[in-house]
Amino acid sequence: MLCVTLSLRPSPGLRTGVLALALLAPSLVLLSMFTYWPVIGVTLRSLVEQRFGQEPSWGFGNFARLEADPHFSKAVGNTVLYALGTILPSIALALGFALALRTQTRLVAVLRTILLMPQLIPLVAAAALFVFIFLPGGGLLDYYLAKLGRPATNWLGSPDLALGAIIAITIWKNTGYYMLFFLAGLAGIPADYTEAALIDGAGLFTRLRRITIPLLGPTFGFVTVIALVNTLVQIDHVIVMTGGGPSDSTNMILYYIYQQAEQNLDAGLASAATVVCVGGLLAISVLALRSLERGIHYES
Amino acid sequence: MRMLTRAALALGIATSLMSGVAQAATEIDFFFPVPVQGKLAVEMTRLVDAFNASQSDVHATAVYTGAYDDTNLKTRAAIQAGKPPAVVLMSANFIREYVITNAATDLSALIAKDGLTDQAFIERFFPAVRQNAMENGHVYGVPFQNSTPILYYNTDAFKEVGLDPEKPPVTWQEWVDAAKKLTKRDGTTITRAGLELISSYDTLGWVTSGLAMSNGGDYYNRGWGGEVYYNTPSTIGAVQFMDDLVHKHHVMPEGVNDANAVANAFFSGRAAMIVNSTGVLGFVRDNMKLPFKVAFIPRAIRNAAPIGGASLLIPTGNTPERQAAAWKLISYLTSPEVDGGWSRFTGYFAPRMAAYDLPEMKEYLAKNPDAKVAVDQLAYATPWFATFNTVGVRKAIEDQIQAVLSGKAKVPEAMEAAQKAANELLRPYVEQTALKLPQ
Amino acid sequence: MKAERVGLALAVLAAVLWIIPFVWMLVAALRGSVSGQLDLASLWPDGPYNVANYIEAWQSGHFPLWYLNTALLCAGILAVQTITVSLAGYAFARLNFRGRGTLFVLFLLQLLLPPAVLVVPNLLMITQLGLFDTLPGIAAPYCASAFGVFLMRQTFRSIPRDFEEAARIDGASRLQVIRHLLIPLARPGLAAFAVVSVTSHWNEFLWPLMAVSSPAHQVLTVGLASFTLSSESGGDWGVIAAGTALVAAPLLVVFVIFQRRFTASLVSTGLK
Repeated sequence: MLCVTLSLRPSPGLRTGVLALALLAPSLVLLSMFTYWPVIGVTLRSLVEQRFGQEPSWGFGNFARLEADPHFSKAVGNTVLYALGTILPSIALALGFALALRTQTRLVAVLRTILLMPQLIPLVAAAALFVFIFLPGGGLLDYYLAKLGRPATNWLGSPDLALGAIIAITIWKNTGYYMLFFLAGLAGIPADYTEAALIDGAGLFTRLRRITIPLLGPTFGFVTVIALVNTLVQIDHVIVMTGGGPSDSTNMILYYIYQQAEQNLDAGLASAATVVCVGGLLAISVLALRSLERGIHYES
Repeated sequence: MRMLTRAALALGIATSLMSGVAQAATEIDFFFPVPVQGKLAVEMTRLVDAFNASQSDVHATAVYTGAYDDTNLKTRAAIQAGKPPAVVLMSANFIREYVITNAATDLSALIAKDGLTDQAFIERFFPAVRQNAMENGHVYGVPFQNSTPILYYNTDAFKEVGLDPEKPPVTWQEWVDAAKKLTKRDGTTITRAGLELISSYDTLGWVTSGLAMSNGGDYYNRGWGGEVYYNTPSTIGAVQFMDDLVHKHHVMPEGVNDANAVANAFFSGRAAMIVNSTGVLGFVRDNMKLPFKVAFIPRAIRNAAPIGGASLLIPTGNTPERQAAAWKLISYLTSPEVDGGWSRFTGYFAPRMAAYDLPEMKEYLAKNPDAKVAVDQLAYATPWFATFNTVGVRKAIEDQIQAVLSGKAKVPEAMEAAQKAANELLRPYVEQTALKLPQ
Repeated sequence: MKAERVGLALAVLAAVLWIIPFVWMLVAALRGSVSGQLDLASLWPDGPYNVANYIEAWQSGHFPLWYLNTALLCAGILAVQTITVSLAGYAFARLNFRGRGTLFVLFLLQLLLPPAVLVVPNLLMITQLGLFDTLPGIAAPYCASAFGVFLMRQTFRSIPRDFEEAARIDGASRLQVIRHLLIPLARPGLAAFAVVSVTSHWNEFLWPLMAVSSPAHQVLTVGLASFTLSSESGGDWGVIAAGTALVAAPLLVVFVIFQRRFTASLVSTGLK
């Protein structure tokens, strides 16, 4: 009797598991086809050593070649600089904008819209506009700088400035988007916290440091991950504006992967670089999301 | 939910409607890049429509595929996905690599069906473009639009500093002298550059190869894709010449200047002379409001100008039926009439020699002497840089020259580094060819 | 309160900087091409004005078709995503099952791997599915969305459990609860997700360039690139500006109209 009951009525844990699986199935099938399978494929491919006209063999040779390639280390260095140079200012600005634009006036609505507009145009299009803005001598920036008495500057053509120019575009493009998340986060902070602090006579910066920023912890985690992913995968403007130059000074990891896969037809090196890139990204994201999870648990 | 279903249904219907009705004709796709201007995409579509209207066996669809590099990328990806296009208009110097990697169809059989030998077929085209279209005596690409770099100069600026606009510089010495006279400065800042060269990736390698060849060199091994000559005196001299223009004569702005920057500087009078492709002649004519002329690239030891442009090729993986259909389209596009018309529309020269025997072409050249300069320079044109891993090997020297132009490296050391990097990239191919000896 | 005024003033200053590229785009697009490339940089509308650049941009491509394709693509992706992310979001928010944490991390992996990173395997996959060179082929890799799942999980968590339990007591099944109770309550979260989804797919370039060949299936960004990515010449700035304006206009207009409602939606997801 007992057996029959068991088989007819599976344990609640099992039932929940089956239900969960059913609900997750559509996503899991799609993810398997377009994410997991390719990742497994890339990982396997990275372990196959095959150079022109030779028989393939298994091994870590691709990773050794990757480590020895100065272009790769340059691309990694650029990507780190680019990530720091975009993420830190973007997040600081986004938080600042969100704090300044929390109210619901007409002016605030207009300002929020303007700050978010860059997010609404394709990066290829933004790049086309900025090619003109940065044009040495005749471009928008130099045209107005010349009125201030500054000589023409080769923004995209100097190895010292090109990465900065690319960073500027990314900040312009993404900050408004991150601002939205901070607006959402700020709205979730109960008003009595700040009011109480105000009554205690806490100044603006004390309130920011003691109350607002700690409570926004999860938002920081989330925005950091999104921003990190953006810096790695959004390289349309690099392709259009500099092609990674001058002298590799704006080459990024993803662009390096493209160069290996499609220009040098070196699938082994491209796969190895992808594995390294995804591994690093995953590690950083898990760390950032951990802090996010903690924040949410803490609150509920 | 019902709304979603309806949306999905609408999506399905619209997609099936747009995929076109099945036709009896062989359907082929033709990838083409637009390296110059958007309106060329419209013209290309028009040409393909005219081809479709001219016969009923083949229906071709023109697919715009971005710039040259995007087209290469997309073609490679399509081959890997098992869906190669029937015809691609490919940067002419990529053909060698397509042959090395077995990605281009040997056109000999199709040519033979027309009753021609490969040699007889290729002799319909200008000598300068033949080498890049062939490997080992077989034709793999059919030249369609070609260019060489030429000198564009602002005649007002010439007059202003007492130079004769009818006598452009002919030697490097005259070139530097003219550039010095033409340069205007405000303190140490250049307000009008005497000369600007395009120094972004791709064009930089092209321009450098021309200067090195003019300086007596070969720059790369024309017959075999495993050797480049980056640390030879001819190349070192050519790169030193560019370095001097920036850091010794101060007639060219420091750093890398891309095609946008150079064109804009020329149009606004901030550069008196520029070197650019003959393919942008139409674009310059449309945008340059100041009077200008064109001339041969000045020479060091001999006149030389590398070929640029694109050829039509059939990627491997196409059925014989599709190959035959592709050949029809290629034959149409490279006929003297069509190729000549495209040349007049774009500014590229027509590689098909017979195009210049047509009355409309003679009339056009009489009216546009600048287009004639481009054709005349063909007598000195040299084949385009093509190796195993062309882009990577080209980038090896470009990275170093960009560092030189930015004041970050000295020429001889930079060229040693470029040679070393290039050798490393070429090694796998070299080991499997020249160094693979009978056992 | 003084600090707030300073903050607002700084935000105004930033907004002025932020809008300059758009002002230039509009001015340059309307500026007649008579002056060639001279003084293109001036932001001051100095004429003469005409719509020649818009006409040239419009005629350089098939904008009506591109608009339609892009709209269909975005709508189709969103339609399927709505189903997949709601179901998965619910599972992660409400069900306690073994391996939930691990599965969630596995989902998030997709955030890091958009099709742009996995072009070749994804192309192979859609070819095997017979979807190469179709709009569903561009859409397929996006039909599951880690970002959406994350957002919906947060949204469902912010809805009190009591509603759901009351409905369950009344005899509703879980699917009925999701469909008739939770989805309507989660509308603000879905709206926020919709905006993020539509903007990103409207603006994507590399993957559609690779996945589709026929001009009949071309989308806006790929079309736009035909006159912005000219490598040999310099840019035709007026036409580039006009083309960019044409591509960006629909989203900009929609956003300006619905700005308040959208921000409110996002705020209400409880995403922090």
